[in-house]
Amino acid sequence: MQNDLTDTVTKNLAGIPAGRRFQIKRVCGYGEIRQRLIDLGFIKNEIGTVVREALLKDPIEVLIKGTHVSLRRSEARLIDVEVMD
Amino acid sequence: MNFSPRQQRHRRGHFQSTIRAGGKPIRIALAGNPNSGKTSLFNAITGQHQHIGNYPGVTVEKKYGRLQFKNELIEIIDLPGTYSLTAYSMEEIVARDFVIKEKPDVIIDVLDATNLERHLYLLLQFQELGVPLVGALNMSDECDEKGICIDYEQLSTILGIPLVKTIGTRGSGLSQLLDTAIQVAKGVFKVDQRHLNYGEDVENAHNQIIDLLETDPAFVAKYPDHWLAIKLLENDRDAILKVKSEHAAAAEVLSGSDQIRRKLENHFKDDSVAIIAGQRYAYINGAIRETVKIDRTRPAIDWTERIDRIILNRFLGVPIFLLVMFLIYQAVFGLGNPLAGMISDWFGRLSEIVKGHLPAGQFRDLLTDGLIAGVGGVLVFLPLVVFLMLGLSLLEDTGYMARAAFVMDKFFHLFGLHGRSFIPFMLATGCAVPAIMAARSLANKRDRILTILVTPFMMCGAKTPVIAMLAAAFFPRKAGLVFWGIWFFSWFVALSIALIFRKTFFKGDQSPFVMELPPYRWPSLRSVLIHMWQRSVAYLRKAGTIILAAAVIIWIALNYPKAPTAVQTPVTTQSGSELLLSAPQDALDYSFAGKAGRALEPVLKWAGFDWKLSVSLVAGLAAKEIIISTLGILYGVTEETAEAASKSHMTSVGYQLSRDPSYSPLMAISLMVFVMLYTPCLATLVMVKKELGRLRWALFQAAFTLGIAYLMAVIIFKVGSFLLPLL
Repeated sequence: MQNDLTDTVTKNLAGIPAGRRFQIKRVCGYGEIRQRLIDLGFIKNEIGTVVREALLKDPIEVLIKGTHVSLRRSEARLIDVEVMD
Repeated sequence: MNFSPRQQRHRRGHFQSTIRAGGKPIRIALAGNPNSGKTSLFNAITGQHQHIGNYPGVTVEKKYGRLQFKNELIEIIDLPGTYSLTAYSMEEIVARDFVIKEKPDVIIDVLDATNLERHLYLLLQFQELGVPLVGALNMSDECDEKGICIDYEQLSTILGIPLVKTIGTRGSGLSQLLDTAIQVAKGVFKVDQRHLNYGEDVENAHNQIIDLLETDPAFVAKYPDHWLAIKLLENDRDAILKVKSEHAAAAEVLSGSDQIRRKLENHFKDDSVAIIAGQRYAYINGAIRETVKIDRTRPAIDWTERIDRIILNRFLGVPIFLLVMFLIYQAVFGLGNPLAGMISDWFGRLSEIVKGHLPAGQFRDLLTDGLIAGVGGVLVFLPLVVFLMLGLSLLEDTGYMARAAFVMDKFFHLFGLHGRSFIPFMLATGCAVPAIMAARSLANKRDRILTILVTPFMMCGAKTPVIAMLAAAFFPRKAGLVFWGIWFFSWFVALSIALIFRKTFFKGDQSPFVMELPPYRWPSLRSVLIHMWQRSVAYLRKAGTIILAAAVIIWIALNYPKAPTAVQTPVTTQSGSELLLSAPQDALDYSFAGKAGRALEPVLKWAGFDWKLSVSLVAGLAAKEIIISTLGILYGVTEETAEAASKSHMTSVGYQLSRDPSYSPLMAISLMVFVMLYTPCLATLVMVKKELGRLRWALFQAAFTLGIAYLMAVIIFKVGSFLLPLL
């Protein structure tokens, strides 16, 4: 995985501030949580936006595939993304 | 196509005989994502002809309706709303097993036409199951508003699935939808098993697995082989289990498919789940690119985002949430309690009337104090249930419930609970019965169990008078402080126990929180009313009957066996203890409950309770407020004490307790904590059994709460007795 991504800055979704767009590079984790993320459209190369954070900065709301999805920061950490412009 | 509906109906031959005259119904399963408008479509089709049951073996609710449509008798089964058909959630397993095992004649998959990309994902998975399928492009009116233009004939051709435009909330397009479904069921319209091509590598792997599966023809006849091959590639645990237990050459198939999967994963440098999902979405994107045009010249106002800018605002979110909860609480208890009081009065009067017309005796007592009081005890909760369901369905249907979870999740997650646990917690401060019903909105079973186990610790409407009475009797100057201290203590215990359970019994992977925040929608009055009606009937039928039976048993325990002398002197009482009016104190002492109380005294002595308190606590298992009336009987409240009590602004029972030299303020605290925490009332336990589906959860709840209450009370009493003299 690392080889083709050395040029770009990859972070996980939990580190993206509200209002920024991102492109998904990889979904980590295993089992139910990973399956759920993938089914909800968190798949490679998909572009989304972090919409907002809750009061204690957790959970966060993300716009992906035309839907608003809420996820905990611990779950967002499983998603490697690249920040866009 | 391997599926001819006629054949299938022969396969279900034994089922046919049970159906009343009118013929064999065409069985239509209604599927779809949550928030696809599936429920309003189901309600629009079935109207009043709905029944609720459970899917066998699980607590997932099954709604179905049977009706005459044109010349056909049709049965519509509402499958649980799911995003996918994996083996991770109960809902998904139920939905796919229903399709595989029960073989409905046709499936209608309800799609949100404004968000086809996500909704087609499920449609394709149903198609993979190889079943006759129709897509309902629902909410097509919203499409027009948003300038989304779908060439649905072309989309239908690309997918190989008939599609029909519908508007569930207005009921339009339904007749055409049912016509199409019936024709698909009869084989007039063919549905292609699949058009989706996963690409050469996946297809090859998939074909190799099919070859392996076909070594057992009986197995392949039972399950759709194409679907099973994909599921094995996805390493789906339920598919693996099916092969393991039913395939003749299970070991070869599993090791073979495992090898094929690994090879594929090595090739793509990614895992199979991601590869397959990626291919599905790529195919969907292609289909949408060709058939959906968005009119950019009239961009719709995104009302949901505008509203969320306020409602989910970082700083406004919590106050708004608390305001909404306050309104719900007011609706449930503010409107419900006066009605509950009226119901309770009616039954009181009814029992007076019966008493006036029947000769005194055991039969009359059973009828009035047992049966009538029992029915009243069931109906008293009905207003709460009705208003709760009104509030909850409004929260769900508008889309606010998901926002509430978003706002509160962090706090509750600290204690191992879910954002949605807040609603049961809040309701439990009024009554645990609706609180346990409200835990339904927690989709994950572990979250639901955990929430249900701890919410009855909270102060409820029935515990309030007991705690208030004790606080006033023993701490006349600081009654308010003590009362609120105990109130906060109950929150503390409930949340701590939740955390402890999460770290012990419920250890391991937490359920995912990730969820959709659906667009705000106006709730349909019809859906809300149907929901309210169904829940109320379900409460009366399932919980009501058991609560009634148990109330009668408790009544017998409090009144039998009769004291041998049978001194049935009328007791002049102002304590309002209807239940036990006919039983003077020595009769109670002689009864099963009295004996149980006496027997428990040596144990409860450690917490500082004497036999009178022990008997009252046993009686309180029926309902907490009975603790007061039982003490009233044991102390034989007279007019004298009542007068003295009213002078000191206390209830007569409280007055007598405070005058009893064997009771200390320390014992009072121990007693308050015990009452707060010990075994929930009977109605609550019955609800727990009903909602969690198993008696053992109710029994476990009864036992562990008792244990914790006893432990806390003993610690408070013993440590206090040791420390107080030192101060």
